[in-house]
Amino acid sequence: MKIKAQISMVMNLDKCIGCHTCSITCKNVWTNRQGAEYMYFNNVETKPGIGYPKHWEDQAKWKGGWELKDGQLQLRSGSKPERLLKLFYHPDQPELDDYYEPWTYDYETLISSKRKNHQPIARPRSLITQKRMDIKWGPNWEDDLADGESARQDYNLKQMASDITLEFHDLFMKYLPRVCNHCLNPACVAACPSGAIYKRDEDGVVLVSQDGCRGWRHCVPACPYKKVYFNWKTNKAEKCIFCFPRLENGLPTVCADTCVGRLRYMGVLLYDMDQVKDAASTPDKGQIYGSVLDILQDPNDPAVIRAARKAGIPENWIKAAQDSPVYRMVKEWKVALPLHAEYRTLPMVWYVPPLSPITRRVEADVFLPEVEDMRIPLAYLAELFSAGNVPVITKTLQRLLDMRLVMRAQETGDPLPRRLEYDVDTYKAMYRLMGIAKYKDRFNIPAGTQEKSREKLNQLQGSCGYTCPGGC
Amino acid sequence: MNTFFYGVLPYIALTIFVGGTIVRYTFFERGWTTKSSEFLSKKDLKWANPIFHLGLLMAFGGHFVGILVPKFVTEAAGTDEAAYHMMSLGGGLPAGALFLLGFLLLLRRRFAGSDYMKVNTSPMDRWLYLVLFLTIVSGCIGTLSNIPGTFDYRESIAPWFRSLLMMQPNVSYMSGVPAVFQFHMMMWMLLAILFPFTRLVHCLSLPFEYLFRSNIIYRKK
Repeated sequence: MKIKAQISMVMNLDKCIGCHTCSITCKNVWTNRQGAEYMYFNNVETKPGIGYPKHWEDQAKWKGGWELKDGQLQLRSGSKPERLLKLFYHPDQPELDDYYEPWTYDYETLISSKRKNHQPIARPRSLITQKRMDIKWGPNWEDDLADGESARQDYNLKQMASDITLEFHDLFMKYLPRVCNHCLNPACVAACPSGAIYKRDEDGVVLVSQDGCRGWRHCVPACPYKKVYFNWKTNKAEKCIFCFPRLENGLPTVCADTCVGRLRYMGVLLYDMDQVKDAASTPDKGQIYGSVLDILQDPNDPAVIRAARKAGIPENWIKAAQDSPVYRMVKEWKVALPLHAEYRTLPMVWYVPPLSPITRRVEADVFLPEVEDMRIPLAYLAELFSAGNVPVITKTLQRLLDMRLVMRAQETGDPLPRRLEYDVDTYKAMYRLMGIAKYKDRFNIPAGTQEKSREKLNQLQGSCGYTCPGGC
Repeated sequence: MNTFFYGVLPYIALTIFVGGTIVRYTFFERGWTTKSSEFLSKKDLKWANPIFHLGLLMAFGGHFVGILVPKFVTEAAGTDEAAYHMMSLGGGLPAGALFLLGFLLLLRRRFAGSDYMKVNTSPMDRWLYLVLFLTIVSGCIGTLSNIPGTFDYRESIAPWFRSLLMMQPNVSYMSGVPAVFQFHMMMWMLLAILFPFTRLVHCLSLPFEYLFRSNIIYRKK
């Protein structure tokens, strides 16, 4: 057993109102520069829809993620020699128009226009060519199903057995905020010919070395979530950095901190590195989720604590893992699921699937519906969050409904109708964490390697303090 | 004049080539990239770029053998001048054709293709493409003009180049070399001087180590 620590995030989709505050704050901090205008390290998609970039979920097109070939885990884009032949032309690489052409407006004309019969207007101008342009698509074109037709092309709908009509009376939609998943088995890392992408040993954050990157751009198609981007100005790859300068100081990412719905949770998970490959190689894609839960280790188990200490994980990290909101939701209560586990990258951003309004099929006097009665089809959620495994999603939603049932019974005094999966106190704890948790409950991030830096400072005692650390 | 062009300039060029590349790698690695433009314009890269690079590799291989392997070695191996000339034409003509064709397709893509390509074309790139164009064209013309085999570069250019590498430049080899080959010499020296300052450096980053490394990389802060 080789224990490693991972900073992980949970998003409670029940509370997402699709306000895009996360995307905007992230953009203002990280990608508001030339070459990166088109990038959204964090974006929020309306589902069903084709997403950003267009059709990112269609791996027949992009060849992202991993697949099992004769039982062996291999990148879907082929073996290493095969991929080196694609250095000169990569058939699966998305291009700018697969995202959108970024633009600004000629605001200047609003104040510099000559007197005319009509009001001056600010016309769009391309940020790439600097020419006037017609806007045909944007990062958020499908917001609230605004594009209409593209919702029908949703990849997950195509995978479902039953035909979904998008008639008004049984329309459904949900929001899906997406960041880099900082996977345990990241395809971008495995695809980088230069070895410039790596997983940080201390906290599992996946980063691109801007010095090491040579612009071979294999990471871009390899990431099945399309969360590695190519900067057209620096000609190097960039991606979500999980706001690591904030993490190192014990602060959550910008997207999580500014989330208006307070739906993001961050904390530490401990996992067994030796089992990662086996978990990713689980033959049945519907069972990958279960395999991942198995390699997440109980931070209160003395054997795990011993192994963690042996692996050099600092005490404050072990403590944070024991008090991790993410561990609770993911492993203890099993209410958070990975996005598209079938890509076999073992994503470390988890989603609490959303409940949704009751369908018209079930009439009015139901105060709590059955999971099958809700608008978003179970099969659809299963495609997104449990690799098509419907029983997993049904059980997860049932836990969320049971929590409401218990809390309702607390108020009304009604007897609980049936045997529940967990005891009442667990549901109350779930309610506290998912309903009313404050900042400190939602985020438990141990401040970097403070302990070690203190040791280093102690070593510097008595030396001339104002020159370079480590000696003059 | 010849003393400067064939006795001094090559050393200036090679010094800038090696020294400049080391300086760039050491201090400016952040800008070291293929400068790929596939992201901006994909379709017209599909054939042009592999053709260009295939021609380039073939031409490089041909130059390597033709210049660095002395004549007495190939003759000792039983290849007389006529046979060698046929072999070099057999490899050199298709190499030049692919190289030039790929380059022309890439030029068309860059300067008459998608509007997006402008953001991938710096002033330095324009100079580079001019020099590269003249280098390739002069090389092709040289090869074509010498189909009859009247000029033997293995008795002139090749020994001169090897004398450069031995640090004992013998300029006299270069007297009587046809003009187009002399022009080709000027162009490669110019190219060597430009090299560290251009996107060409990516040819030194061919990622062979990729074949031998593990899939997932962990790195400490």
